[in-house]
Amino acid sequence: MAPPSQKSATKTDEQVAAQFTSYYLQRATKEFAEDLDRVRNADDFKNEALPILINALQQGTRMFSPEEQRRIVTATAAASSASSKQGEDE
Amino acid sequence: MGKRLARALDGPAVPRKRLKVVHEAPTSEEVKTSKQLQHLLSFTPDTARARHGLQSFKLFLDELLHPEHDPERLSLLEAYLEAVKPNADDENPVFLPDIMQLWSHAAQTNNENIMSAVPVVLDLLLRLLSKTLDTVPYGLGICRTLLQKRQQELIARNLSADKSKSFIISPTLRVLREAIAFDGGTIARPLFRARANMLKSLARNMGIVHIGDEPEDAKRPSTRTNAVLFFLSALRFLHAEAKKELLSQRDIVSALTRDIKQDPPYLVKDILDGLKVHVLLDDKLPREAKSALLNASTLTRLSTLYQYRLDSPGEDEISIADIAHEFLMLACTNPSCGVLRQDSGYYPREVDLNVTIPDADIDDLGLEAIVWMNKFKAEVPVRNYTLSNFLPNLRPWSSVKQSELITAIFKVAPELVANYFLNNKSFSFEPKLSATWIGYAAFLFNIVTLPIPAHFCRGSDFATLPPPTSIVIDNILPPPLNQKALTRCLNHKSNLISFFGVRILVVAIEKLDQAIKLYHESSHTNKTAWTEAAKRLVDEFCQRSPSIKDMINAYRSIPEANLMHREAASRLLRLCYEVLPQMALMAKFDVSPLLETCLRRLSSQELDDPRDFALSLKELENLLAIAGYSPGMRWLVASEGLSLSPFTMLLKVCLEAPHGVALEAIRQVLDFVAKEQQVVPASDHHPGLLVLLEALQALGAEKPESVVQVWPFLDNCLTRCANAPVKYVEKLQQIVLEGAKTLDTGLSEAVVSPLAIVMLEQLPFVAAKKDEQDKLRALGEFLPKFLGYSVTSGESKPVLDLIFCKMAEYLPDIKDRVEKPGVLGGLVFTYSDWSRHTKTSVCTQKSEKKPIASSEEGQGKETIDLETLEAMLDVTDALKADNSALTKWISKTVDELVDEGYLTALISLLVSEHASIRKEALVNILKAAAKIKQSEYEEKEQVWLLLSELAETARDKINDGPLPSTTVSFACHALNVLRDPLSHLYPKVNTFLIRGPSWNLDKPPLVTEILSEDPAIGDSWYAQSGWLLEYLLDGLRTPSDFELFHKKRLKGPLFERILTLAANPYLRAPLRMQLCRLIYRTTKIEGGSTTLITRLGIMSWLEAREADCLDPSEAVIYAGLRERIWDTCDQARVKSWSKSGLGHKV
Repeated sequence: MAPPSQKSATKTDEQVAAQFTSYYLQRATKEFAEDLDRVRNADDFKNEALPILINALQQGTRMFSPEEQRRIVTATAAASSASSKQGEDE
Repeated sequence: MGKRLARALDGPAVPRKRLKVVHEAPTSEEVKTSKQLQHLLSFTPDTARARHGLQSFKLFLDELLHPEHDPERLSLLEAYLEAVKPNADDENPVFLPDIMQLWSHAAQTNNENIMSAVPVVLDLLLRLLSKTLDTVPYGLGICRTLLQKRQQELIARNLSADKSKSFIISPTLRVLREAIAFDGGTIARPLFRARANMLKSLARNMGIVHIGDEPEDAKRPSTRTNAVLFFLSALRFLHAEAKKELLSQRDIVSALTRDIKQDPPYLVKDILDGLKVHVLLDDKLPREAKSALLNASTLTRLSTLYQYRLDSPGEDEISIADIAHEFLMLACTNPSCGVLRQDSGYYPREVDLNVTIPDADIDDLGLEAIVWMNKFKAEVPVRNYTLSNFLPNLRPWSSVKQSELITAIFKVAPELVANYFLNNKSFSFEPKLSATWIGYAAFLFNIVTLPIPAHFCRGSDFATLPPPTSIVIDNILPPPLNQKALTRCLNHKSNLISFFGVRILVVAIEKLDQAIKLYHESSHTNKTAWTEAAKRLVDEFCQRSPSIKDMINAYRSIPEANLMHREAASRLLRLCYEVLPQMALMAKFDVSPLLETCLRRLSSQELDDPRDFALSLKELENLLAIAGYSPGMRWLVASEGLSLSPFTMLLKVCLEAPHGVALEAIRQVLDFVAKEQQVVPASDHHPGLLVLLEALQALGAEKPESVVQVWPFLDNCLTRCANAPVKYVEKLQQIVLEGAKTLDTGLSEAVVSPLAIVMLEQLPFVAAKKDEQDKLRALGEFLPKFLGYSVTSGESKPVLDLIFCKMAEYLPDIKDRVEKPGVLGGLVFTYSDWSRHTKTSVCTQKSEKKPIASSEEGQGKETIDLETLEAMLDVTDALKADNSALTKWISKTVDELVDEGYLTALISLLVSEHASIRKEALVNILKAAAKIKQSEYEEKEQVWLLLSELAETARDKINDGPLPSTTVSFACHALNVLRDPLSHLYPKVNTFLIRGPSWNLDKPPLVTEILSEDPAIGDSWYAQSGWLLEYLLDGLRTPSDFELFHKKRLKGPLFERILTLAANPYLRAPLRMQLCRLIYRTTKIEGGSTTLITRLGIMSWLEAREADCLDPSEAVIYAGLRERIWDTCDQARVKSWSKSGLGHKV
């Protein structure tokens, strides 16, 4: 297994959680775009409804343990640093 | 009738008409000297002059209160005050005697203008005097004057003026507010003593609100605002006892919050801040005083502030709704604030945690012995009644903050969860794509994720008895989350709704798992009760949760691109297999197609974002875990749509994954499967599949295009090797023999990966094809690497050299290059020895599920203590007689009879020791059969047939003794099969039933049909065998039962046939464990262990199992069983039977 890069290892849990939440929301809005549009047009969609919707979506991050979150979030960072390292070796 | 006479205008007979009040603005003059002031304020009965004087004084005070006033002018006031100062010797010194006299006269003559003007000037004067230290004594004098009886009465009269006379009431309230706060509350205490006058009509005055469409002007506060500010000042300056007294005035407390929703923002903020600092956080204030203020209706009114709309906070300001939220969070979750009371977690108020019930009662009646176990299904008494009344007024589905508040309250008072849902039955979870439904789903998700109290209660240890199951389940899956609603969520056409349903179920099963672990804690004093309660909890959960089929269908219907949704759904299925295997195995689920889809997605490199790849990998891990649990997974068979087998696909994914993605779990699965399928040597000293992975990686780094060529060849070799492992072991032996002849060295212990032999065998076929020269060239690069790494990993070099020589003949490029035959040098294989230390994932999961507590290192070998062994293998007696079953079934509907176990309990009574019970049971079974036949129950014919055949079989036998347990156990298990027409065993059980009217008691039914015949439905052989073992286990209870197991039969004793199952290398751990349980059960029967040793050769069987076992955690079980058998057998007899061989060995 490739060792975690310096950059990802130094990321604090809070940073990882914030980045994961942002990824999670981004993924959710992509996967459920059609349904979310329909909710936005529902009769009961008022002022408070948007924070409720965002809150409801991001709750799901709790299903991922901090390690799992780190694994997913750091995939990008590790990939770029690993490829640059490979480049140096060559 | 004549006209009325006009009466004289004067004289006493004139009727009193209401005089028209004319508000004339008073005149004034500028104050220039203190003398003038004295003159202006001297007492006069002339109203106009008096008003002139007071108005001039007011304007003078207004001027002095202005920040840019002339300091010289202040001395005028001081001179005046000094001049009118009373004598120090006076008993009751009256400050400002003239003004007081004016006020008194005005009250007598009902002159409202002066009654208002006096408190106005007093308020301004006190405000001015409090500013400098020199003037404080005058101010205190005035305050004390106000406390004198005469002035008290004047104040009371002003306060109780007509509601419309705000111009009198408000200034009086302002004076009081200044007075109570004067000099740091010096006169607060005596002022409160005079509360009969000073707080007169306070509650009413708090109700005189601002009227009008315009918002209240801060410069012209309403009577309510003045009254509330006075009250808050009182709270600030009164000592704890007085404050307690003040807060006990219900009318005042109630009036304080009644109209809070209409109050101006600054007042709401003052109220909340004042109450927080001077009530909630005041440690000296007794708890009951705080409770008096924060009752359910106050909390409800404060919660209306969540919808407060009169403020418009700037960016840096906190909104009133937020301040109210913070206040309520503090008030409701901090025990010192007077609202929250300490509860007992999942135990309701009425339950005594220390109560004990005799073990005998629990053994006889089970959980029914605990009177309150089923009592709280309709109502849960709680200690936190204030919160229980308050919570239904919140709307968690329409506000994130309200949801947060309720969740926070539930966290500190878990007793309220079940109570809340029983009181709020109306709100259903019926799925609908709306903001409200999503809000409700989010709220329920929050509740499900709440932690379980450490010991289900507040104590430092578990209570003697488990908490009521209904309450525990309400905390895991709250009542709105019922089977119907959840199933509709999963099947909903909207993906979002299905996703929310899946997520809730995932966290619910995780919570259930935690609860089960708590139920199985070893520290419980009454283990039977806790174990039974755990079982009941799982049953309840299964009744509320959707069926596994619905979960599987929901997963299958998720669009390919919805990675996150797929991950969640696969996680749900995996959890079902791990936590609720009995539910998961009910459906036939072939994981292979889904696994293949996932592998195809990962291997085709469709995902650009590495994070998506990592997420998809999570799904893959879940599927791999499920594959580990499901018996029929075909790893090395390519399905129609795929060119490669799942195993090779997985290998490919592993190799092609972006850098940085964690693959450990997947590699472990690969290695596990490879060893299980005997593709690589299964020795602890061999790195297993890692050799192949390293070789492929090395090739990929050098020439990525070659790897693509290698895959089909590799897949072919892997498949062949897995299908016929013995063939290649034999081939290896031939090569070894050959090598021994030529090399003249001892190669008998040579280790070589079987895969290398297959490659050698298959290479000529590739070489023979003209159009596959590219492939051959790629192999020319790959094979030397693979063999090279194999050598450095510890395999036999001479044999591999030999193999390579043979291969080189077909590899044209190599043949020319290599000078002397042999594996290419220079390949250094470094491998991490993870395979030796970490168990493969499948093993890990298994051992996580059944943790082995003791693993003390005894001479390098793990052991297991008998207690742990018992916990793992001892199964409670399913046929234990419960005599109450005779009467219980009568009042139940047919559905309940069959589905909720009343019928099986009745059938179980046929094994009772008492003849009368058995006879009674038989009569009742016949009655129940008749009842079922007349009902509308769908499977009534078959159930009736089963019961009638059972009765027919039992009729003659029960007079002599109990029916064999196997027969009764079969009837119970067969009943469960008949309930479900989709069961794998449905055809077999029905065929059995129509075979004849009674059963052969000597022969346990369906043994041959299941073990030796075609499973009829798909590849359900393993599932059917599992069912058979389960019913046999329940049917093995007495020495006479055991006799049926070891009796000589045509196809050998039953026990022997069952033990033979273990020889099947594909038999999964759960079934192997079932065999161990059967053996363990036998050791509990008198003479069982001895017979196992002497007639069934169990010791050697266990030794063989132990030796074959790859997983050390399983091996210790076999060793433990040997010890258990030895401990329970007739040792003297066994020693003599084995000629002392056995005792020594154990």
